[in-house]
Amino acid sequence: MTTFLAALLLILFLSVGFAGAAVADRAIPAFLAGQTAPSWRLSLADAVRLLQTQRIRTEAPDALLWWLAPALYLALAIVGLAVIPFGQDLVAIPSEVGIVVWGSCEALTIVAVFMFGWSANAPLALIGAYRYVAIGLPAMLLSMFVLIGAALPAESLGFIEIVEAQRTVWNVVRQPAGLILFLMLGLAISLRGPFDYASPEDLAGGVTADVSGPGLLAWKIARLTMLVSVSAVTATAFLGGYLGPILPGFVWLLLKTAVVLLVLIWAGSVFARMPPARMMSVIWTMLLPLSFLMLLVVGVELLLWG
Amino acid sequence: MAVSALKRWAGKAPASVFVAIGEGMRERVERLFADPRIERAATPRHAAIFLIAGPMRLEDREDLRRLHDQMPHPRATLLWAAEVGEALGDAEKLNFTLQPADTSRADEAALDRLTRIWAELSDGERPSEPDLLHDEPPNPWQGIGPHGQGGKGMMGGTPYGRPMAMTADDLRDGLALDPYTARFGPFLPMFPPGLLLEMTLQGDVIQSAKVLRPPLPQAARDDASAALLRLARLLDLLGLPVLGHRARLAAAGDRPSSTLETLGRAIRWSGSTLAIRPGLGAVEGQGDLRTRFDDLLAVTGGSSAETRPELPESAHLSSLLPGLEWSEAMLVLNSFDDETLSALAVVKEDEDKDGHDHEGSGYMHHEHHGHGGHQGDGGHDHHAGHGGGA
Repeated sequence: MTTFLAALLLILFLSVGFAGAAVADRAIPAFLAGQTAPSWRLSLADAVRLLQTQRIRTEAPDALLWWLAPALYLALAIVGLAVIPFGQDLVAIPSEVGIVVWGSCEALTIVAVFMFGWSANAPLALIGAYRYVAIGLPAMLLSMFVLIGAALPAESLGFIEIVEAQRTVWNVVRQPAGLILFLMLGLAISLRGPFDYASPEDLAGGVTADVSGPGLLAWKIARLTMLVSVSAVTATAFLGGYLGPILPGFVWLLLKTAVVLLVLIWAGSVFARMPPARMMSVIWTMLLPLSFLMLLVVGVELLLWG
Repeated sequence: MAVSALKRWAGKAPASVFVAIGEGMRERVERLFADPRIERAATPRHAAIFLIAGPMRLEDREDLRRLHDQMPHPRATLLWAAEVGEALGDAEKLNFTLQPADTSRADEAALDRLTRIWAELSDGERPSEPDLLHDEPPNPWQGIGPHGQGGKGMMGGTPYGRPMAMTADDLRDGLALDPYTARFGPFLPMFPPGLLLEMTLQGDVIQSAKVLRPPLPQAARDDASAALLRLARLLDLLGLPVLGHRARLAAAGDRPSSTLETLGRAIRWSGSTLAIRPGLGAVEGQGDLRTRFDDLLAVTGGSSAETRPELPESAHLSSLLPGLEWSEAMLVLNSFDDETLSALAVVKEDEDKDGHDHEGSGYMHHEHHGHGGHQGDGGHDHHAGHGGGA
């Protein structure tokens, strides 16, 4: 029964989150650019426009993967969200190793993006695809260390235990730098701003450069859904998830997710993207060692005061 | 019922426009896109309207036709003060007299026309334009072997006139990867308009570059507005379209110093300068990309654009770009003012040795411009030419 209720809540969470993300994705950049707030109808109008546009076929595309890639991306976003608890026993897919499930969703996102860029059989899309693999791989590695740091106080890989361990103090207090690193992963996994190496301006849209109409719409939907999921995971791992007074846990999680989502969209618009080679060396030589160090610090902290 | 309701919805979206910029029109077009009613598409695949702005060279017409056919249906074309003969069929024309005082009125007329075309197109009043070219392979199939793969074993051969990639040493790390040669331009949105380069890439590292067509001359102005637009292009490439948009707005309208100061602060906070590796794209007398970026940034602080000494004779894109990775190269290409860039992108008659080394026999087939229809062929040539390459 609770699983059924959790599944319903999952659908509700996804719809509300997605609608909010679609509006915020237009509103925040417009606000930062000093324009008047665009109407909420604009996102819908754009979707309808894409739906009515012809779907283009390039020369010798990998048609099957081209269809599958957005579906896989969307599926990963939904599966990743399904292990997130909305309450103490309220989770769509109860898992004792929630972090591992989420981690595999992260890793497979690289595959989904590569498939999408690969299948158009076009150079700019392909460059976007393997560039993303090069940056995505160390970024996902990074997130795993950060998540293990979040799991240490709970002594469990399950998200429910991780949330319960935050009853005394949220993980963001234990490791603020971890949150920042995880937000970077959020940008990378939802192909956004400073970590959008798959579809940047300098590749004329990269993996989407040869995609038109419904295919492009599907990709955009998957991307926004992943943004919602990664925000929810961040809220759960660092901001106490469903914990909070008075209001039901579901609402608390939704509110915290909204805050993370807004921060991600904001960060995606205000920070510059490094050329990939420079970003690679930053991740491998600075951020990854930093994440090791933080893991160590959390461990020592727990040994001494845990 | 439902269909017509959907159509009404689509009409509310901003018009998605892919633009090919001709002579002297770059700055005007960029300022035009500060308007929220239109959106600049990164590729013809995302666009509904093809805007051809300004006079074009004779040799660019074929590329324009190919770009036109790369757009998905429904689509329409607007020729804005463009002289392209019959190349685009009977596309809609909008002309203006080049009176300096009239520019804002002319721009407004162009905006109106674009939004009207989109309104008509989205509700089905205006029929979508048919292909201009035949949908056929650009070159005959010339591969050998059971699958036409040609050459040695799985590799080699020149199917459809495009040589298969073979491994060769990489400039950067000696890793042997497949070099890939294609033409990029002349209307690739991140390229200076009109520039057509033949580049050999390994992965995303440029191995060699050869200028086939120089950029189209632009109104060479050396004022704050031009500097801001140049800054906006770099910001777009750095993944900061929001700040790019603000710079374009500042270039289009009047510029209270407070607005510029906030913009300058936002750019400094974005970490743009740190994102650029020191020494990247250094040219004698012109500094590196970082100094050029900082110079442009100084314009937001109120100082005038600095004049740089003459370029050394030897400076040329064919020596500047090789070794750079694609996004670095795009930043470098967009960091020069129009005059400097023209000097850097002179078409060299005699083949420089570097470019020659990579030329295989099948390579010349690129010369026969075939065609890439939206339904299928064109392949590599065709895609590289998002933006119109061959």
